[in-house]
Amino acid sequence: MEMIKELLIQLFEILIYPGLLFLFVAALLADWIDRKLYARMQNRQGPPWYQPLADFVKLISKETIIPKHAVGKHLFRVLPYLAISAVVVCIFFIPISGSLALMSFQGDLIAAAYLLSIPTMCFFLIGWTSSSPYSAVGAMRVLTQFFAYEVPMILVLIGPAIVAGSWRIEDIAYYYSANPSMMFVNILGFIVALITMQGKLERVPFDIPHAETEIVGGVFTEYSGKLYGFIKLAISIEMIVVAALFNAVFMGGSLGLEGFLGFLLFCFKVLIIILISAIIRSAMARVRIEQMINFCWRVLVPIAMLQLIISIIARAFHG
Amino acid sequence: MKSIREQVAAWARTKSPWIIHFNSGSCNGCDIETVAALTPRFDVERFGIVQHGSPRHADVLIVTGAVSKQQKDRLVRIYNQMANPKFVVALGACAAGGGVLQNCYGVLGGADKAIPVDLYVPGCPPRPEALIDGVVKLLSGIKGVENAK
Repeated sequence: MEMIKELLIQLFEILIYPGLLFLFVAALLADWIDRKLYARMQNRQGPPWYQPLADFVKLISKETIIPKHAVGKHLFRVLPYLAISAVVVCIFFIPISGSLALMSFQGDLIAAAYLLSIPTMCFFLIGWTSSSPYSAVGAMRVLTQFFAYEVPMILVLIGPAIVAGSWRIEDIAYYYSANPSMMFVNILGFIVALITMQGKLERVPFDIPHAETEIVGGVFTEYSGKLYGFIKLAISIEMIVVAALFNAVFMGGSLGLEGFLGFLLFCFKVLIIILISAIIRSAMARVRIEQMINFCWRVLVPIAMLQLIISIIARAFHG
Repeated sequence: MKSIREQVAAWARTKSPWIIHFNSGSCNGCDIETVAALTPRFDVERFGIVQHGSPRHADVLIVTGAVSKQQKDRLVRIYNQMANPKFVVALGACAAGGGVLQNCYGVLGGADKAIPVDLYVPGCPPRPEALIDGVVKLLSGIKGVENAK
């Protein structure tokens, strides 16, 4: 009896909260909020609340074309699901409504960072298997961009881990809940993280991999119907997961609140991150790929290094 | 009576038309009006209309201009690359029936000479409001279509 109960709880956690269903709803809502904010900043009405759902259902019900020239037809079909499962697994390491995550082990910060880079690799392979000139150019840009933003992103994620003295996301969130003033030590790193997030989610100003005016649909040019719907869903879910990770690592997670209040706080902080992202998106134009790499390596990496030094000094004084 | 699955799919289709714009030999007048319709002033995202670059993503193909004999193959190819169900809007007098160019030696005629057209928007050039009205009418029309192409 106990075993069945445990199994049911685990199934609930994986499929409903904080697993697939919660992420699905949250991703669609986040997508809508982002588009609505973007529209309001352009002084227009914007899409209705059900817009992402309508887009998703429409794409699911459309015909799915596998191009004749695609290199790996099975790979072509599997990659969107691989991307989506990687980001869904990532949420299990991140505390959402309380101070505890579903799974936790020493070093899960690194595991989460790697799981978040799997979708990027999937997008690269998506462009590669499509074997269309536009997707090939997009795939190269995905990879080039990946090497630019990933380094400062990982560097700034290390900062809070050093201050908290632990590589567990749970412990980091708990440490900042106990010492909220220490959050200001990482303010520089948080800014860098927010900028690299735009690169990770391939949003303006770093939407070079699918620049519509230059390379049609970028890596996703050949994708249609159901598979394209799942790619879009994977990107939306990734936005939620990245925001949740930043919330836990930089903003102290639930700040000691449990249950429903903790969940409200989580939603509030994720909304703030989406708002900042939408402001960046509407205020900027797309940069060229070499401008982006120059910016990441010459500006963001030194700031991230500075942040690391600040973190080590703070740890020496406080810890 | 349609099944619930079909009804949901039809609802989603009417709420989320992604368009692709193709110039089959236009004088650029209709193209400029199409681009104007996509600006924040007209806010087509209210109806879920989004422009997509790739024909694989789009639902509605907007054709501007009379189809020249050279562009015909390209137009058919773009049309064939789109995923079903797909719709075609012929925008402007030339795309609707050839317009002033209808008897030219290099011109095939309206867009319906090359591909099946679902909706004609007249005007030379049609205003952005006419385009938006056309797409919304097309979508409210496809609710009743039993077997969308």
